[in-house]
Amino acid sequence: MSSEQDHLKETDTEARFDFKKEAASAFETEKGLTEETVRVISEDKDEPEWMLQRRLRALEQFQEMPMPTDWPGQPDLSEVDVGEIVPYIRPDVDVRAGVDDWTELPDEIKDTFDKLGIPEAEKNALSGVGAQYESEVVYQNMQERWEEKGVIFMNMDKAVQEHPDIVREHFMTKCVPPSDNKFAALHGAVWSGGSFVYVPEGVTVEMPVQAYFRMNSEGMGQFEHTLIVAEEGSEVHYIEGCSAPKYSAFNLHSGGVEVFVGEDAHVQYSTVQNWSKNTYNLNTKRALVEAGGRMEWISGSMGSKATMLYPASILKGRGASDNHITIAFAGEGQNIDTGAKVYHNAPNTKSTIESKSISKDGGRTNYRGLVHIADGAENSSTAVECDALMFDNESTSDTMPYMEINESKVDVAHEATVGKIGDEDIFYLQSRGLDDDDAKQMIVSGFIEPITEELPIEYAVELNRLVELEMEGSLG
Amino acid sequence: MSSAQLPANLSEATVREISEQREEPEWLLESRLDALDALETLDLPDVIQTPGRRWTNLEALDFESLVDPLDQADETERTADEGIDVLTFTEAIEQHPDLVESAFGSTIDPQENYLTALSAALFTTGTVVYVPEGVDAEDVTIRAEMNSRSLFSHTLVVTEESSSVTILESIESGESVDADARYFSNLVEIAAGENSYVQYGSLQDLEEDTYSYTLKRADVDTYATVNWIEGNLGSRLTRSDVESELNGDSAETKIVGAFFGHDEQHFDVNARVWHKAENTTADLVTRGVLDDAARSVYEGVQDVGRDAWNTSSYQRENTLMLSDESEADASPKLIIHNHDTEASHSATVGQVDQEDLFYMTSRAIDPLQARNMLVEGFFVPVLDEIEVEEFREDLESLIAARLR
Repeated sequence: MSSEQDHLKETDTEARFDFKKEAASAFETEKGLTEETVRVISEDKDEPEWMLQRRLRALEQFQEMPMPTDWPGQPDLSEVDVGEIVPYIRPDVDVRAGVDDWTELPDEIKDTFDKLGIPEAEKNALSGVGAQYESEVVYQNMQERWEEKGVIFMNMDKAVQEHPDIVREHFMTKCVPPSDNKFAALHGAVWSGGSFVYVPEGVTVEMPVQAYFRMNSEGMGQFEHTLIVAEEGSEVHYIEGCSAPKYSAFNLHSGGVEVFVGEDAHVQYSTVQNWSKNTYNLNTKRALVEAGGRMEWISGSMGSKATMLYPASILKGRGASDNHITIAFAGEGQNIDTGAKVYHNAPNTKSTIESKSISKDGGRTNYRGLVHIADGAENSSTAVECDALMFDNESTSDTMPYMEINESKVDVAHEATVGKIGDEDIFYLQSRGLDDDDAKQMIVSGFIEPITEELPIEYAVELNRLVELEMEGSLG
Repeated sequence: MSSAQLPANLSEATVREISEQREEPEWLLESRLDALDALETLDLPDVIQTPGRRWTNLEALDFESLVDPLDQADETERTADEGIDVLTFTEAIEQHPDLVESAFGSTIDPQENYLTALSAALFTTGTVVYVPEGVDAEDVTIRAEMNSRSLFSHTLVVTEESSSVTILESIESGESVDADARYFSNLVEIAAGENSYVQYGSLQDLEEDTYSYTLKRADVDTYATVNWIEGNLGSRLTRSDVESELNGDSAETKIVGAFFGHDEQHFDVNARVWHKAENTTADLVTRGVLDDAARSVYEGVQDVGRDAWNTSSYQRENTLMLSDESEADASPKLIIHNHDTEASHSATVGQVDQEDLFYMTSRAIDPLQARNMLVEGFFVPVLDEIEVEEFREDLESLIAARLR
């Protein structure tokens, strides 16, 4: 234990995420959002007409929709003024669609990702890596053996040009239409970057592919789009990581994720979110799951000022299944409002949702979840379990599940607990020679273990490190 | 502007007439008129909404045809135990004017929403239960029959220090009325004094052409306990809110509910507790059964305030679905502001346990009879809580009747 603690002290995790780089961009839009902005972005990307039209329609929908303000206990979004956001910044990189060799990147960008440990992880544990800096993907590479099997992993902008048929069919149509919510509409108007993943029938991508998103400039918005199409019987694990240095003005991250899980396919989507604490993180993530398919959402929400994120699975085909594992950690000034949505629209579908949250120093966590079982979705089952740990009475922990059951031949169970960190547990560990801080850290690590054990070891270590960093802040 | 439509002959004159007939004091007339004025701006009670769905559609209520303020009639029998007063509202105003004035509106603001204001402006019947310091009373019964198209009622329970009382208040339909639909509303306020104990049971078995709105709220003082039992079997649509505010240290509450819906019935039942002081305890238990195309909506809220140190709070909701046409929606919520809390909630929805059923049929019990026995057994945790024997027997026989 002590050697691990020392190791942690040697690695200054905070410095690893919070460093800033002099902002150097080749092109950036004006602040704010007008039709002109959208046209400029589309033109700068040399997009086909249909994509421009989709953007303009989304912009219209964004302008018509009201801000969501009437959800019980929701984060305060009054500061989020889209007029103050720079929606598009193209960093100064020669190769428009990103390079496939880290050494070709400008030094300050390469240095950023080195510090974040991305190239190192690529060597050891990943099938492919994409890295986005501001609005554009600057690096993208995948091991050849997957390319040979027909797996595609590329920058979303490039996919619009190179795979127009697949993109046109799947991009913000059936899964996340811009009309879904105000921020999905905003995303549809100004999206840039992100990943396109295509896994052909029967192919199993054995090691995860990863995308890393970095916002460096103050007052920018990042709107990357991720589209994953997993054909029948295929399997892939996609990991995204996010971070940004902290500025005084707010940043906005509003990503869109669409996953198409084919028959008997299996997709795992893991996120370790560590946005700086001036970032509003308002994402829409959704999967459509065909018969026998399996979707897994694994999310660790550590950063951001306010997060509203409810990854959704729509179980369309008989026997489709979903598994959500969520951890939220809210410290001072943070409001992490997250949860899960599952629609059981076919018989024999199954979902399990496991949520863990920790709140301290005035932070607020909320589990907000919806399970809907449609009429006719017989023999479906869902089990929801939410556990919350609280450190003090300045903090808040809410649990707001919603269950809509239209079918009688079902098994529906929801359970939740909230409690303080156990005095007896701390006493026990102290009696074994640990000090108070170490005891609390150990209890928290144990509390989130069901989540960390689902992640590849590098990410589990990273998540633990972030949690311990948060803990040090409060206890030191 | 309110989203609901005002009844046709609802005016200041109507309200004055109701008040004058009952020779009410000025303060109550003022309170009625204020509530009437507020209708314009008040909204219907909050209803849960999820993307694309509204769990209960109160907007669909046509108050113009439901409510006839000047034609209200009821037949109410009240039985009291020794040493306490169980009075009609009018009697209570005569005998305990100060008590009624201070208790009325103390837990429910008449202007809380459109339906509370409508009720406070128009009520013509009601009961006041007053239990003086140190008195223990049992088996108070208030049995009301509704004999008009619409009926508005108000119940006050005041228990002084170290007193106790068990109460059953029931409502059913009396004479049939020439109307397509009817409306019943009751506001129940309980002010439980220090170290007092109240069990208040409610049994609603109205005809299935009746829309019913009840809001019941208790203010629970130091070391006091308020236990609610809420039984809903009748009505076309019921919106029921049962709430306890634990305002004194070591206050306790149980909110126990049972509903059994069939045909097209819709139950929107809600149990809520606010922990506002130290060492408070709450236990929320709701059990419901749905047959045919019946639908249930449940919200349970456990709200633990910043100063509610050493709180214990539990909630369980279980729904059995007997038919494929039925629908059950549930939202148990935890809102926790103090970490010195042990809180949990759980909710389940499902069918009668197939293994239990198999066991019983293997013992030569007819399948339907076996199912019915399991349903009756399902309600036992609720029945066990009831202290007024009459109430337990009534509820048992109503459940049994529905299964035949």
